Amino acid sequence: MRELMILAAEEANAATVVNEFEELLLRIFVVTIMFGLGAGLTPKDFGLALRRPWGLIIGWVTQFGIMPLVTYLLIISVLLPFSSVEGIMLVALGALIMGSVPAGTTSNLFTYFSKGNLALSVTMTVNSTLWAFIMTPAALFIYSNFLGLDESLSIEFSELALVIFGLIVPVALGMFLRRLSANIGAVLELIGGALGLLFIPFLIIIWVPRNWPLLMSTEWPTYAVAIGMGLVGITAAYYLTKLFKMHPMNARTVALETGINNGPLAIAVIIAVYIDNPGIDQILLVPALYSLFIVLISTAVTLVFRRANLAAEQKIPNLL
Amino acid sequence: MTDAIWLDHYPQEVAKELPEIPHHHLPSLMGEASKKYSGQKAFTQVMPNGMNGTLTYEKVDELSDHFAAYLREELGLVQGDRVAVQMPNCLSYPVVAFGILKAGCVIVNTNPLYTAPEMVHQFRDSGAKALVVIDMFADRLPEVIGKTNIETVVTVKISEFFPAVVGKVIRGVQRYWSRSLPPVEVSHTLFKDALAKGKAQASGKDYLEGIGRGSLAALQYTGGTTGVSKGAMLTHGNLVSNTIQMLQMNGKYIQEGKEIVLTALPLYHIFAFTVNLLGFYYVGARNILVPSPRPPSNLKRAFENYKVTWLSGVNTLFNALLNERWFTDRPPKHLVASAAGGMALHESVATKWQEVTGTPIVEGYGLTESSPVISFNPLGGKVKIGSIGIPVPSTLMRCVDENGKPVKQGEAGELVAKGPQIMKGYWQREDETNSTVVDGWLHTGDIGEMDEDGYFTIVDRKKDMILVSGFNVYPNQIEETIAAMDGVTEVGVIGIPDEKSGEKVAAFVVSSLQEPSREEIIAYCREHMAAYKVPSMVTFVDELPKSPIGKILRRELRDGALATASSSSDTSKGA
Repeated sequence: MRELMILAAEEANAATVVNEFEELLLRIFVVTIMFGLGAGLTPKDFGLALRRPWGLIIGWVTQFGIMPLVTYLLIISVLLPFSSVEGIMLVALGALIMGSVPAGTTSNLFTYFSKGNLALSVTMTVNSTLWAFIMTPAALFIYSNFLGLDESLSIEFSELALVIFGLIVPVALGMFLRRLSANIGAVLELIGGALGLLFIPFLIIIWVPRNWPLLMSTEWPTYAVAIGMGLVGITAAYYLTKLFKMHPMNARTVALETGINNGPLAIAVIIAVYIDNPGIDQILLVPALYSLFIVLISTAVTLVFRRANLAAEQKIPNLL
Repeated sequence: MTDAIWLDHYPQEVAKELPEIPHHHLPSLMGEASKKYSGQKAFTQVMPNGMNGTLTYEKVDELSDHFAAYLREELGLVQGDRVAVQMPNCLSYPVVAFGILKAGCVIVNTNPLYTAPEMVHQFRDSGAKALVVIDMFADRLPEVIGKTNIETVVTVKISEFFPAVVGKVIRGVQRYWSRSLPPVEVSHTLFKDALAKGKAQASGKDYLEGIGRGSLAALQYTGGTTGVSKGAMLTHGNLVSNTIQMLQMNGKYIQEGKEIVLTALPLYHIFAFTVNLLGFYYVGARNILVPSPRPPSNLKRAFENYKVTWLSGVNTLFNALLNERWFTDRPPKHLVASAAGGMALHESVATKWQEVTGTPIVEGYGLTESSPVISFNPLGGKVKIGSIGIPVPSTLMRCVDENGKPVKQGEAGELVAKGPQIMKGYWQREDETNSTVVDGWLHTGDIGEMDEDGYFTIVDRKKDMILVSGFNVYPNQIEETIAAMDGVTEVGVIGIPDEKSGEKVAAFVVSSLQEPSREEIIAYCREHMAAYKVPSMVTFVDELPKSPIGKILRRELRDGALATASSSSDTSKGA
């Protein structure tokens, strides 16, 4: 979620990123949400996600198998043939990085709202973030080679550790407080959910006006890639889970976890690696757009998922 | 007369006759527990998100004293006055119920989902002078109160007695998010003000002088399935006896001061009223009150956060839980057993429950008119799945023919029962009383059979029996068979008029996947039962009409089917 603020600043000068205060504020926001959502979980929820590792395995495959592939296919079928912009390969490189990073907190939030399996979502995020150390560079290496680029990239482990730390600590703390008092847990969960709900329009409102020129100057093939990645990623992963006959709750989780990648991580990695590259603005273009549109796409998908969940809910007579 | 052959199957610890009970009325019975377990938690109300509030035995005792004083001193009610109570399971319920009983008044439990005409009927018929109602449902009062004798309305909040902050959060959500707080447009007193007034005026007077076993404790309305609802007069003696009878039958499996019982069934229903509210209170258990188990996921947090040892439910509830993934993934670890009643427990559900939880469901049987427990499977003895068990101590049961003569063991006949729990009669309906309670025998209207061990099995409701070309067909049997098929969630079977055979069998099936098909269901039935029993009509429906506790309302199903048959319109619904 931090990505959107970063992007706001990015246009002016990538090197300034966001100011420290804004970054701190956003981190607090995200940590509070995860703290609240964690208060709805119990250790048993995680035990169950681990005891039945199929979700985790399928999620791993979709995360590093489907998303980079979907991105690559969009690049070669839409971006490259229809774009006339100079430095298009840099845009493609940014898209590939965006497609190769793991999921982040945003996917946990949308899983929660979609009535998915939050414990599985958190477990998948942690798992794929750990694997990202190997898999993100590997995926990027493979597909950039296909594109004729000779890119190699290494991720600082501290970046990944920060993601995991920022996820595990608040969730564990929330779980602990719920154990202490179910009332405190329930109130925190409500606050976390409410903050999460406010966060979506809040991000859109601050992002769009500040980046209006960027939105206006971007051509459609770039949009198609930035929007298509999330949309196709979620859809493909969803149908794959159906093929494996996963429980609808877990299917929704894997789908969102796959399609929603960690924007802030992609941006942090790009800034760390390409800070001296004069084309960094182009590299950041798709991650920037993706980060906005994934919130819109996920909101729409969440509404569809919630409706499906409601329809599948057991109707028993009102015992009131 | 049938011999009480079942007595041989009583577990050792179960007395064959009810021991002398020193308590002559419910407040005395409850009072013993209130003193003995005073510091322990008595009731915990759990909301779907886990928010909760708790009252200890001591607190329930004290608050109900205040409410009794309010009724007698402030409102000037006298012994025998009826007080209607209309609320879902919440912490106020025990305070109100015990308060009414302590005041020597009569509790009139009322379903909160009743429509205005139903409320008018029940309040007028009972002659209730006061009503304690949950504010969420008070919007129907303006069209009701004027047509009744109700002089005072007291409103309770769902979050009553919750920790302050949590209570405010729930209130805020109700008001601004779910918008479930309609304005109360009749003059009313807030529950907390009523308690404060009662506290101020408490004089320590004995409101129970002269109240004894024969005194009326509750008017429990019933008969919604036959038409006009009538009040079963349950006395203090009926309810005290039945509480002890029920506990006796479960012997050592209900441990004093240690049980945690999940109360998902509504307390306004006689099953939960006697078993959970009275029975488990008396043994010092902690009642986990769930305001609404709909959808069943509302029970998730209650199961997660409390070490539930007992559960009382109806077939619908057990079945619903077995269809919830969170439940089957992590069945409650501390569960000892569950009690089923209210409707026939399907064998398939009982068997699957045992597989999933590793604990039994003991099925019992009873009617509102019998407070309600008549029979139970003895947990310490032989538990027969599919049977309603053996009569509880001091209770006689037998099957009789149309002339009231006992039939031979193994033959089907109407079940009749006799014991200290049988109601005094129907409130102001002498004729109905006389046709229902004959020489002390309660005629249940259920067809049953007794096996060689003295265990009873319900064959069906007398009035639901289908007559196909002169053969008796019992819908329960067909429902059981179809319900056992994979993919079938629920099924209701009725008889509808047929020119050739008199009546024909019609099945209404709820199946989320529309699988099995109509043809498959019929083929399956052919395999498992005599040809005349096989449904000639199978209709898929989204939902079956049900009573508040989840009994399938066959009458409504029949009315719906007849309406469809008589109208040529394709749009009319079958159920």
